[in-house]
Amino acid sequence: MSSTPLGEFTDSAALTLGVELELQLVSRRDFDLTRGATDLIGSLDYDGRYGEIKLEITESMIEISTQPQATVDGIAADLGGLRETLRHHSQRNNIGICGGGTHPFHRWPERRICPGERFDDLYQRYGYLAKQFTVFGQHIHVGCTSADDAIWLTQALGVYVPAFIALSASSPFVDGVDSFFQSARLNAVSAFPLSGQCPPLAGWADFVEHFSFLQACGIAQSIKDLYWDVRPKPEFGTVEIRVCDTPLTIEQAVALAALAQSLARWLLRTRPELQTAKQLHVARYNKFQACRYGMAAMISDPIALAQQPMQEILKALFETLADDARELGCEHWLKALRHGIADEAGDAAWLRAKQQEHGNLNDVVREATERLMPPPSKPSAENS
Amino acid sequence: MLDSLLALPRSLWESLLERLFFLPPFPESIDSLALFSLLLVIGLLIGEWLHARVGWPKVIGYVLAGTVFGPSLLGWISIEALAQARPIADAALGLLMMEVGRRLDISWLGRNPELLRSTLGDIVLSFALIFLFALWVVGLTPAWAAATAAVTMASAPAVVLLTIDEYKAQGQVTERVILHTAISSAASFVAFAIVLGIVHAEQNEGWLNALAHPLWVAAGALLIAGLTSRMALAIARLLPKRSLAQVFVLIACALLAVGIGRMLAVPVFLTLFLMGVLLATHDPQQTLRYTQLPEGHWLLAIVLFVVVGASLPWQNFTWLTGLQALGLLAVRAIAKTAALALAGGSLPMPKRLLVGMGIQPLSATAVFMAYEIASLYPEIGSSTLALPLFAAAIMELAGPALCRQALKKSGECESGTPETGGIA
Repeated sequence: MSSTPLGEFTDSAALTLGVELELQLVSRRDFDLTRGATDLIGSLDYDGRYGEIKLEITESMIEISTQPQATVDGIAADLGGLRETLRHHSQRNNIGICGGGTHPFHRWPERRICPGERFDDLYQRYGYLAKQFTVFGQHIHVGCTSADDAIWLTQALGVYVPAFIALSASSPFVDGVDSFFQSARLNAVSAFPLSGQCPPLAGWADFVEHFSFLQACGIAQSIKDLYWDVRPKPEFGTVEIRVCDTPLTIEQAVALAALAQSLARWLLRTRPELQTAKQLHVARYNKFQACRYGMAAMISDPIALAQQPMQEILKALFETLADDARELGCEHWLKALRHGIADEAGDAAWLRAKQQEHGNLNDVVREATERLMPPPSKPSAENS
Repeated sequence: MLDSLLALPRSLWESLLERLFFLPPFPESIDSLALFSLLLVIGLLIGEWLHARVGWPKVIGYVLAGTVFGPSLLGWISIEALAQARPIADAALGLLMMEVGRRLDISWLGRNPELLRSTLGDIVLSFALIFLFALWVVGLTPAWAAATAAVTMASAPAVVLLTIDEYKAQGQVTERVILHTAISSAASFVAFAIVLGIVHAEQNEGWLNALAHPLWVAAGALLIAGLTSRMALAIARLLPKRSLAQVFVLIACALLAVGIGRMLAVPVFLTLFLMGVLLATHDPQQTLRYTQLPEGHWLLAIVLFVVVGASLPWQNFTWLTGLQALGLLAVRAIAKTAALALAGGSLPMPKRLLVGMGIQPLSATAVFMAYEIASLYPEIGSSTLALPLFAAAIMELAGPALCRQALKKSGECESGTPETGGIA
């Protein structure tokens, strides 16, 4: 391991998981985004047993993150605990909380950057993009036993970015209108100069060299400047999948973590040959397809020189991962995720259906808050 | 001097009058509506100037315009012009009261015991301390001391809402200021209805008025609010949510309630506040929940505060009453901040104190409530109610500034320099 501005790569137990969810803080009066993050976090009476609850870049967002867990059930328990903690504190402060990749109708100029040196620095560096970055994603960390494995897995997972986008898509509305995208959130991320995918790298040493090059060019100062779809996280010893929209339910977030863990296990076990350079040629196209059409996307295969429907890719993927999921004890979560493969069953479709039903987006967000935090006695039916 | 200035145009006019038979006689005074409109423009300009140059809330400018040009000082706004403008002021106050009622989220109290403690503390301490001050220090009779406490215990919903709107404030201090204001207003209205009975009992021999008038006020306001809110919801259900048509229905029904309230001598502020509460709580389909008043309510607010400024009885000012009013405001401030400080809870003490500062405004409703009671017993009421009226007069100017300062110190105002143009 080399000592660079990246720091040492902290080896972690294989396939351990961590999940981060960025959540929306909304007013219970009209369900528009509200500035409440500092007050909410400031009033927390919480011992941190399920993980962290912290500020994100604007005052209308918070981020929850689980403890590192060996199993998906552990992640489910942590997210459940965090949800109950948030339920208690948000009710005390009369703030609504919901998932979804974008707030359907907020006005980004009204957002305010959270206090803090890092947030202020981001605002100074990126200007209005920082406020437009009021979008909400799920990040999934998968533990790697070595830095070289992490770089290999970063590239291997790149191929499956469209699958994660399609399965988590929950941001069809932007600025009060239907964007026609299933996930419009990633368009906000794409505006950042270092967004995209990891280039072909032979291993950790290669990555360190690549990063040093970026640093020498004055482009990146820390790993946080790389807004890659999948990136290594040396300090945690993980690979971080960053393309998912925050789902509308905790259960869907857990199911996506199950997919990440099963997929990582299968990849590391079978070690398919990487074609990162070729994949890079189609990566942006495939990502657009997944964002725009979700399950109806046509995904380009640069090896077979053909296109394939997303639904078929996903069906085949779930078949492939069945054994690994069973070994990991998370096959029940994957089963729930498979229901989302049907064309109109995802979170984006749910949001559009609610918009059709109510004829306005305030009610859509109101129902989304109830969907993220159903009353304790009532399980969230749609994902069971 | 004015006569010498008018001499030339007068003689020209009169020479024209001989040939142009349709001309009216030379106008001896400016039409009250024209004059009032001019004053509104002046009020608007003073408000905008204060806001842009000094950062003061615009409301202060409107009140200053009313005070300077009203009967107490320059006298450019006559008593008649004030009477003509009263329906517009009632409509403005009514709409703002309805908005406060719509924002009252009683369920929040159930989810947060500290809020229940602080609101109860605010209501009880404010009424009790002001009552005792008026009774023991000022020497009013129990009934008039209670009347004074009833009209001054509440915070000013119109001022609070407009200040929050003006500075685009969002956050816990802001939300709690709104909640405390709405609940203290509700409590003040209940106290006002009871006090009406007490005042009648003290002034009259029989008990009929003492019982019937509070009942008339309370039941009348509830009935009008119930009917108009149901009507608004029934019609609005037929229209798309948040549509302009829904806004129209909401405003039309509110104005209907104002009109009926005026006809039946039921306080407009109470009626519209109840209407707002009913619209918020009896709307399971969220029919009108997201329909907002248009920005135009700022225009009505100018009328309201110019009228309030002009209604303040500065001509009766004495140093003694002024000192007594200051004493009342000090006692009231102690009650409100103590209630917030002692309530405890998750909000840090500095922020709780800022909530206490933010709910200090006392204005339009207090002025109108005082006049409501005073009009029933003009020979006694007008002098006795000078105390709350002067307290309101002082707070008309200081209240918006205090509220704005609380919001600013809490860091909940929208960042960036305030706009220098536009109305809102």
